[in-house]
Amino acid sequence: MLPATAASLAVLAVLLAWPVPALLARAGWPRRDPLVALVCWQAVGLAGGLSMIGALLVHGLAPWGNSLPEAAWSVVTGNPAGDAVRGDHWIALTLAGVLAFELVGVLVLSGVRTGRTRRRHRALLELVVRPSAELPDTRLLEYPAPVAFCIPGARPLLVLSSGMLAELDDDQLAAVVAHERAHLRERHHLLLLPFVAWEAALPVLPAAGRAHAAVRELVEMRADDVALASLSGSAPRRTLARAIVAAVGGAGGADVPSGALAVTGGVARVRVLRLLEPPSPLPAAARWTALASAGLLLLLPTALLLLPAV
Amino acid sequence: MLREGLADRGVALTTVHTVLTRLEQKGFVLHDDARPRRFSPRASREDHAAELMHEVLGRSADRQAVLARFVGGVDADEARLLRELLAGAPADDAPRG
Repeated sequence: MLPATAASLAVLAVLLAWPVPALLARAGWPRRDPLVALVCWQAVGLAGGLSMIGALLVHGLAPWGNSLPEAAWSVVTGNPAGDAVRGDHWIALTLAGVLAFELVGVLVLSGVRTGRTRRRHRALLELVVRPSAELPDTRLLEYPAPVAFCIPGARPLLVLSSGMLAELDDDQLAAVVAHERAHLRERHHLLLLPFVAWEAALPVLPAAGRAHAAVRELVEMRADDVALASLSGSAPRRTLARAIVAAVGGAGGADVPSGALAVTGGVARVRVLRLLEPPSPLPAAARWTALASAGLLLLLPTALLLLPAV
Repeated sequence: MLREGLADRGVALTTVHTVLTRLEQKGFVLHDDARPRRFSPRASREDHAAELMHEVLGRSADRQAVLARFVGGVDADEARLLRELLAGAPADDAPRG
């Protein structure tokens, strides 16, 4: 018989693989509080992986004991299995191993590869950029299209193109730099890394791609919020919105390299709408409910895995 | 020009020549066979920047993991829509609520 623990973990894994990410991606509240939503997404990702692997592991080890610690101890001490070990137990164990190896492996590989590309791009850029006189820690690049980006890492690089400088006024430039600094300071690239990796590891799971897109949108909104807090001037929201619209190009001026169009187009519109018509902030009670749910979501599979079976 | 610029740094000419030869192997500079000691950059600073931007901001989605771009480019329709949104909004920051 399937142990209750394995069954519960399997149900949790299925919920976290599809309905939960679908609901969270479609929900309206994340844009009212991107930071809390980012915490929730991390919890969904982590709990999803944990319950998926955990369910297979507990089922595979069932003949040796009803809970993971009990069964693992039996295997380690060389006790014979209590029940007959059938083929499906071996399949579950193999799948658990493959899945754990793939998820962790892809995460490490993707981290290493991204880091290498970042270092190479930074080295190439450093040959052609010059430091900005007005904006501290900012490098300028002679390039006609309005482009701004930062390369995160141990030595981050924040680059503005000459086209950007020509297109925007000083307040708008300050807004752009504040937005990019927020990405760097809050290490948004680390929040994105697991979702980039899992989309690559589980291309069959539509939720992986949806989660990645949602998290990408949320870090942009979060960076906007942080930038707004540091901006002076009469209408910082409008300043930032105008900077975004100027930087998407299409004004008949220089061509802006598109990047991944499908992703960026929607994000730009969501950000501009959010800046021009700010949603009311999430009430404290809703905030704490969301954070508590994220905590519970992590606690549940951990408890199911570690507590002895009843 | 390069020789004058480097003269007061105390770098030997042979060192400069070695570095330039290596840069040539990597495709960054060219030299004319008739004047073996005159090197010129393969691409201008602007060309190099344009080439670099093409690679750095490339199309694929995994490029987006490498850097955090302020905002990506959008197509002409989307850009027009965004400008209309901006034009239709009140000049001051809308009140929260």
